[in-house]
Amino acid sequence: MPVAPAAPDALLSVRDLRVAFGALEVVRGLSFDVRPREVLALVGESGAGKSLTARALLGMLPRGTTTSGSVRLRDEPGSYAELVGATRPALAALRGRRIALVPQDALSALSPVHPVGDQLAAAVRSVAGVSRSQARARAVAALDRVGIPDATRRARAYPHEYSGGMRQRAVIAMATINEPDVVVADEPTTALDAELQDQVLRVLGEQREAVGAALVLVTHDLGVVRDHTDRVLVMYAGRQVEQGPTHRVLDRPRAPYTAGLLASLPPEDGPADGADGPVGGAPRRGGSGRLRRLPAIPGSPPAPDALPPGCAFAPRCPLVEDRCHREEPGPWTVGDGHEVSCHRWDEVPYPATELFLERPA
Amino acid sequence: MNQPTALLDVRDLVVRYGTVTAVDHVSFTVDAGETLALNGPSGCGKSSTVAAVLQLRRPDGGRVRFEGRELTTLTERELRPLRPRMQPVFQDPYGSLSPRHRVRDSVAEPLRVQGRWDATGPARVAALLDRVGLDPAYGDRFPHELSGGQCQRAGIARALASEPRLLVLDEPVSALDPSVRAGVLNLLADLQDDLGLAYLFICHDRAVVRHFADRAVEMRGGRLVPA
Amino acid sequence: MRETVRKSVGPAGLTRFVCLLAVLAAVGLLPWLSGRDPALTVLRARSAEQEATPEALAAIRDDLGLDAGPLSLLGRWASGLLRGDLGTSWVSGTDVLPSVVSGLQVSLGLMGAAFAVAVLLAGALVAPVLLRGRGTAGAFAAMLAAVPEFLLATVALLVCGVGLGLLPTSGWAGPEYLVLPAIALGVPAGGLLGRLVADALPAVLDERWVELWRGAGVSRARVSAAALRRVLPPLVPQFGMAAVGLTGGAVAVETVFAVPGIGRTALGAAKSQDLPLLQGSILALLALGLVAGALAALARRRLLGPALRDAGLTLPAARPVRTHPAVPLTLAVLLLVTIGWGLLRDPYAVDTTARLLPPSWTHPLGTDGLGRDVLARLGHGAASTVGTAAAVCALSLLAALALGFLPRVAEGASDIANALPPVIAGILVAAAAGPGTRGAALAVALISWPPLAAHAAALVQEVRASTFLTAQRAIGADPWWILTRHVLPSVAAPVTRHAILRLPGIALALASLGFLGLGAQPPTPEWGLLLDESRAYVERAPWAALAPAVALALLAGLAVSGAAYTQGRARRRGSRRADRRRTNETNRPRYPQAPTDDRDDRDGNDETLAGARHA
Repeated sequence: MPVAPAAPDALLSVRDLRVAFGALEVVRGLSFDVRPREVLALVGESGAGKSLTARALLGMLPRGTTTSGSVRLRDEPGSYAELVGATRPALAALRGRRIALVPQDALSALSPVHPVGDQLAAAVRSVAGVSRSQARARAVAALDRVGIPDATRRARAYPHEYSGGMRQRAVIAMATINEPDVVVADEPTTALDAELQDQVLRVLGEQREAVGAALVLVTHDLGVVRDHTDRVLVMYAGRQVEQGPTHRVLDRPRAPYTAGLLASLPPEDGPADGADGPVGGAPRRGGSGRLRRLPAIPGSPPAPDALPPGCAFAPRCPLVEDRCHREEPGPWTVGDGHEVSCHRWDEVPYPATELFLERPA
Repeated sequence: MNQPTALLDVRDLVVRYGTVTAVDHVSFTVDAGETLALNGPSGCGKSSTVAAVLQLRRPDGGRVRFEGRELTTLTERELRPLRPRMQPVFQDPYGSLSPRHRVRDSVAEPLRVQGRWDATGPARVAALLDRVGLDPAYGDRFPHELSGGQCQRAGIARALASEPRLLVLDEPVSALDPSVRAGVLNLLADLQDDLGLAYLFICHDRAVVRHFADRAVEMRGGRLVPA
Repeated sequence: MRETVRKSVGPAGLTRFVCLLAVLAAVGLLPWLSGRDPALTVLRARSAEQEATPEALAAIRDDLGLDAGPLSLLGRWASGLLRGDLGTSWVSGTDVLPSVVSGLQVSLGLMGAAFAVAVLLAGALVAPVLLRGRGTAGAFAAMLAAVPEFLLATVALLVCGVGLGLLPTSGWAGPEYLVLPAIALGVPAGGLLGRLVADALPAVLDERWVELWRGAGVSRARVSAAALRRVLPPLVPQFGMAAVGLTGGAVAVETVFAVPGIGRTALGAAKSQDLPLLQGSILALLALGLVAGALAALARRRLLGPALRDAGLTLPAARPVRTHPAVPLTLAVLLLVTIGWGLLRDPYAVDTTARLLPPSWTHPLGTDGLGRDVLARLGHGAASTVGTAAAVCALSLLAALALGFLPRVAEGASDIANALPPVIAGILVAAAAGPGTRGAALAVALISWPPLAAHAAALVQEVRASTFLTAQRAIGADPWWILTRHVLPSVAAPVTRHAILRLPGIALALASLGFLGLGAQPPTPEWGLLLDESRAYVERAPWAALAPAVALALLAGLAVSGAAYTQGRARRRGSRRADRRRTNETNRPRYPQAPTDDRDDRDGNDETLAGARHA
């Protein structure tokens, strides 16, 4: 596949990105752009390769991986730095200043043996050549900005003296302290309960606004995607399934996988009101007290070392036909920035609920 | 709701760890065949409640009546024959199966432990696996050779082998991939319809609770609060 | 002393204090335990002229308090100790205290120099890991750590002193005399320290916070410094144990290089049955170990500062060094072939016409000072060295499995075993029961089982806390079913593996006792003894020393590579499981080689590493 040029206004431009462990390719040819101040969601399940993609954006892949394709990050206006194959110092010069990472599991993401303020100050001093006291002052200011009370005193405390919510905020403060152009957040809300999830997404949004950064949000939660992102890229088994403006993709999914994920979400609104929304077409519980079924995708996602031939979703897909087992589909553009990788994208019904109603065993 | 007929009747349950009160005078009932959701943020005492209801950790106060019998006053030995009637399903799909044993043996274990293993045993295990939507051929595998969803189904099969009337579901789908959650929830719904099981369903996802439960109670800081 | 003890320990303090008292009591009771009549020796020492009449001997016995029973003996010794009186040497008739003090001064100088060597070496081993990101300095460091001091000392003696004639090899007359002993003593300790840090660093560099730091633009140098800061506090207690290990090593090194230190004094006293001097020296060695431990605890507190003291910092499980199976296999085959060949020959056939012959077809490894075939002695020596080690290993395993269910006992015993180098245990046992294979085996067994028991106890606790065990209770399984079907099988396999991995280390410990004359006695062929005997004519017949030295080095290599291989394998097996499990908890990608935090298949070498350092 020829490498398409970056969109003229893109901050971050990824073309045919491939990441492999030895001979095992885990990310299999991703292309997307991130524009200034845009929020892009990378959606996928375990083994989809979304976390590796996130690390490839920062040149922080684990040892033993090989990367090909192109990840270009706008450095000075008009000039791009290529991250794939870049030297370690070149990558280090971009991190923090141009692009920063909020790792998953933020509760363990701070060093346990360093005061929180010192950790933020270390980031400042590595990127901007300022004095120790100036760095410390900026660290306190950053903690204050994310709403940590009594930030001057708190900056001297260790992570174990912080509450869970405060640690999350401190992590976001550290990732944004050098005012990067792009923030990559790898599952920042996974394993958190609903309240903390909201809090983290709010602080992340505020900081993104404050420093004017674009955000790449890696998640498996479509609920988060709908409320917090501009564009979405859905991944399955290392490939792009569907990409486009969030409202277009979620309101009219063209790939059966996306449609199935949406259909299988329990309806958000209250029970037994009878009205079938566009997504929540699932029959609700009747007055009899018997449980009704959710639309469900059969089977489970494949392990990266056991991918089926052709379309990786084919064994689970209700629209599967012969060529799905032979040819990898697409991607095809189906509308304003909306791309889909499915041989039968124009046959995906709307809503897709009926397609995924399992028959009871 | 008739108190005397409740399958599970929990009154003023208290669980303490040292000076910390994790569960503070919690009361609820679960009727036969119904689903009660216990909803709340992490650290609110849901897991302690589960352990105390199952008598896996003896509560520090209150009563737990199950099928009309008071469990808190029974000795471990007296409790043992009653335990199969209430079975847990854990959040970690790999947690309830021994990593050293084949899935088939883990599912068969309740039959052996409870002295119900006979010539029909293997067929019953195969039927249980089939019932939860697993190809009985998976019985030859070890837990780590199954996906999370398959493992959770095997864990449910194992729980069913004890022929329970109440399943205590501790976040049974929150560790699963999104595309397999609905399938496991549907399985649980079918089992309830077919076997008349009662569920105590621990969950922090409100949408799932609304869809799945007959009634819901909300827990915060060890106490029940109005939902 | 009591104050230091309490300071250095923390919550497990009481067990350790009780164990210490037990060891002290054993030392105090040595004259009673040995059951030998020292009256004649003491009589000769006091006055050469006096005749050994029954009355005179009885008077001496009475004076020594040997007939008054163990309690009064212990009381006399303890009250003397409190007054600063360590008693009078049975052999020289002089006060013990001055000998102990002068020996202690020499040893402290030697150990200080050795510790400096160790720290320098550890730094050199760790540097590449920090600079290159993630290296595997662990393999080389582990090799160094596994080489016993007596072997290193002999080789250093052979090469530098005898072969090249560069440095003095005997005595204690100036700084140049310090070099070789300090290297021989410091290199294994440095290997151990380097290995501890080099093994822990990659796992720490995989921790989440490193991702955040790097992703926020923190420079590599700052991340490296922070990682080191993260690694050190939990390891400092192990550094203390390495310092304790120096006291054991000092015995062998001082003996080889004829350094008049406290270790050599203790060994000499044990061999000549001079029990008061032995009591004093052992006491000094124990005090050295305790002070080292206390210093380590102090250093840890300083490193952590007040806020972190209670944070319960633990390190992630170290990633094992991967070894190709060919390495341990080659070593094992080489050893087995040599041993097998030697077993076919006669190890006792003395041929005075064929003394100190170089290797030839008739004597593939040459002959020793009595004209005996070195290959034959090497082969038959394996039977006594490795065979005894296997017996010790099996006994330790049984004890560990039985006592693993009593975590308190296992923990306390493990602590004291870590603080007691095998050589010192060997000296104590030899003093009480006389030198011999059985005594050596007993000494090594006494300190081999606790680490295994601690591992078993940790596994038992882990299994008991696991969800699937809860599920067992929930189906109404009785405790016996749970124990026999689930707990025991989960514990036995890894602990057995751990015991087998310790076999070469135990063999090396036995050899070190043999080398010091505390184990097998001549003419029995035993590897340590072979090495010791060959020292007398090492200039004329280096091959006689080289053969057992190489065999012991191969054994050390086998210990390291075998451990690395099995650990790596268990890890790979475990990692698939853990990976699945974790993947589904947090939806991380299923990397085929993702680092894991799976601990249940770990072979327990981490926390017991210092204890595993035999000799």
